[in-house]
Amino acid sequence: MGGAQPTGSSHAATTATTVTQQGDGRPDPIPASAHPAFVDPLAAGEPAPGLDEGGIVALHVHRSFGSVHAVREMTFHAKPGRVTALIGPNGAGKTTLLLMLASLLAPDSGAIRIDGADPMHDPRAVRRAMGWMPDVLGTWRTLTPLQILTTVGRLHGLDRSAARERAAELIVEARLEELANRPSRVLSRGQQQRLGLVRALVHRPRVLLLDEPAAGLDPTSRVELRGMLRGFAADGGTVLISSHDLSELDEMADDAVFVDRGEVVRGERLVLAQQASREWRIRALDPRALSYQLANIGVAFDRVRVEGELAYVALDRDEHAAEVLARLVGAGVPITHFAPAVGDMERTYLGLSGGAR
Amino acid sequence: MSRWLQMLGVVIRLELAQRVRSVAWYVLLVIVAIVVGGVIVVLFLSLQGFQRDLGGAIFAMTIFLVMLVTSLVTPALSGSAINGDRDAGTLASTQVTQVTGTQLVLGKVIGSWIASLGFLAVCTPFMLGSAMLGGLRIEAVLVALPILVLEIGFVSAIGVGLSGMIRKPVLSTVVTYLVVAFFSVGTLIGFGVGTLAFQQEETRDEITWDFDDRTGSSTCIATGNTYETTVPRPDRVWLMLAANPYVIMADAIPPQLDANGYPDDIFGQIGLGVRMVQEPPRAESCADYGDDGTWQDPVEGIYERTAPSWFVGLGIHVLLAGGAVWGAIAAVRAPAKTLAAGSRIA
Repeated sequence: MGGAQPTGSSHAATTATTVTQQGDGRPDPIPASAHPAFVDPLAAGEPAPGLDEGGIVALHVHRSFGSVHAVREMTFHAKPGRVTALIGPNGAGKTTLLLMLASLLAPDSGAIRIDGADPMHDPRAVRRAMGWMPDVLGTWRTLTPLQILTTVGRLHGLDRSAARERAAELIVEARLEELANRPSRVLSRGQQQRLGLVRALVHRPRVLLLDEPAAGLDPTSRVELRGMLRGFAADGGTVLISSHDLSELDEMADDAVFVDRGEVVRGERLVLAQQASREWRIRALDPRALSYQLANIGVAFDRVRVEGELAYVALDRDEHAAEVLARLVGAGVPITHFAPAVGDMERTYLGLSGGAR
Repeated sequence: MSRWLQMLGVVIRLELAQRVRSVAWYVLLVIVAIVVGGVIVVLFLSLQGFQRDLGGAIFAMTIFLVMLVTSLVTPALSGSAINGDRDAGTLASTQVTQVTGTQLVLGKVIGSWIASLGFLAVCTPFMLGSAMLGGLRIEAVLVALPILVLEIGFVSAIGVGLSGMIRKPVLSTVVTYLVVAFFSVGTLIGFGVGTLAFQQEETRDEITWDFDDRTGSSTCIATGNTYETTVPRPDRVWLMLAANPYVIMADAIPPQLDANGYPDDIFGQIGLGVRMVQEPPRAESCADYGDDGTWQDPVEGIYERTAPSWFVGLGIHVLLAGGAVWGAIAAVRAPAKTLAAGSRIA
């Protein structure tokens, strides 16, 4: 048994070949999981949200551009008081969906409610309630951050002094005091991003739509962003956040909406995806002992991948991970690190996109 | 209402802050001042003494020069007002506020109007100066200024309107220039072509003259014969000429008549020409000649008989500007139902 072998596509074909027949008193092999046929009846039977439930409600939303169906059928509810992640591969329709939620684009069919307001019939109420931060943020390059925030406040209907006051407050929140009176074109990407975020907050919205808000932010700003969003949700606000940084979302979001090819992925596919095997990263003081013992305790060779000092083991369930750890420790391998290589959301995401690694 | 206007004011200030604070604007201002000011000053210095009489006609051209320059600069400032913002991603940030599409578009029109008026402002001292020093009639300058203001507004509205309806900034700017070219030059060509296209065969009565040796006077006699002739019909296409901004300008400046009742400067002459082409071709008859054989001037009373074409021309421009603005308002309405192919929302 070679033990380690880089694997191309691991989990799809593994289940049938996992069991290694040694029969010489070694610990029993880890039982292979059955094909993920289990469907959580609760998850599958998720009822459609009511239109008056607050937060963000999308019901059977559809939008096409010519023959391209950007959004086919999206139904979801982002609840007040929670941070909801919008996750999906490029071209899944996330941006189109956000544009519809931001009252910029009309859906061909279906209904949308932002804090109870219908963007088709009362866009101004939606715009009062909603703060929107697009992924590629356009700024008036010759204006200073202070002027931008004051102008946006006035465009939201604040009077002059209130707009100035609010702008000064937000400049501090965005940590842009030193740049407040410089043209915004001198701002770095991360500073632009912080400015864009507070710009979405000028009129104290109750719903936040954020497209890649963490892109370009330094670690401090990320932590602040996370704290800010958590605080916003704790005060009863609704946050919908679209991002590709899944580990970031894992820490920030309470709920997730997975979208793929213009559709919200419904319960059963999600459960299947979550049952897809996840990689665990293991590091030991003695890498050779580790790879030997991995084979020895009965982990199928095609579930193990060694990269340098690290071993990656694809496991279907958390219970299996616990068992592998116990056996490795029992076999005397000096383990220093044993953790999932990917977060929950990433695992689901990768499971959805076909398990490609 | 006052809240509505306040919001409009915010959009205008935003527009000005973007446009006026650009380096290009100041560079253009300086170039315009040098070109227009230079032409007027050099003309004034080189036309001395008796040449000053001739100078009146030449100075009149400087008002046209100002009109030419402002109509060439304005499309650059307005022709990408909306689609440029779309491309920069800043249009959507205003669309998600309480601003309405009407406020947004009108604010942009007024903003680029004001920015373009800066060019008129740098030309005005030169025009007033030459008027005071005897080059131009002062009332010509005083009437020309509001007309220039309105014409710059017309081009601004067309530019902003087209920038709302056309996706690419470059294309909408070019189309705005083409519209300016159409009204400045195209209307003249169109008028000429139209006059020929609408020409007509007519049967006319022949007249002849009978000269009396004894009294030395001639009498007009209708011979009773008729003849066929081809008559151009400029009166059917005069609206085209009326829509020309230079014609509007010329006709709007009150004519100063000389001793024979004819206008004595280029504005008045153009104006008179536009008045004359409004009248259907006259069939010459003996009634045109008085009993004493003296000729009755057809120009007499023409200002009373014909429409003030500057008013008609401005009316055409206001209608077109309104249409362009309306189209742009429809184009920035959000949530958008239809989108031009490949257009960016945010």
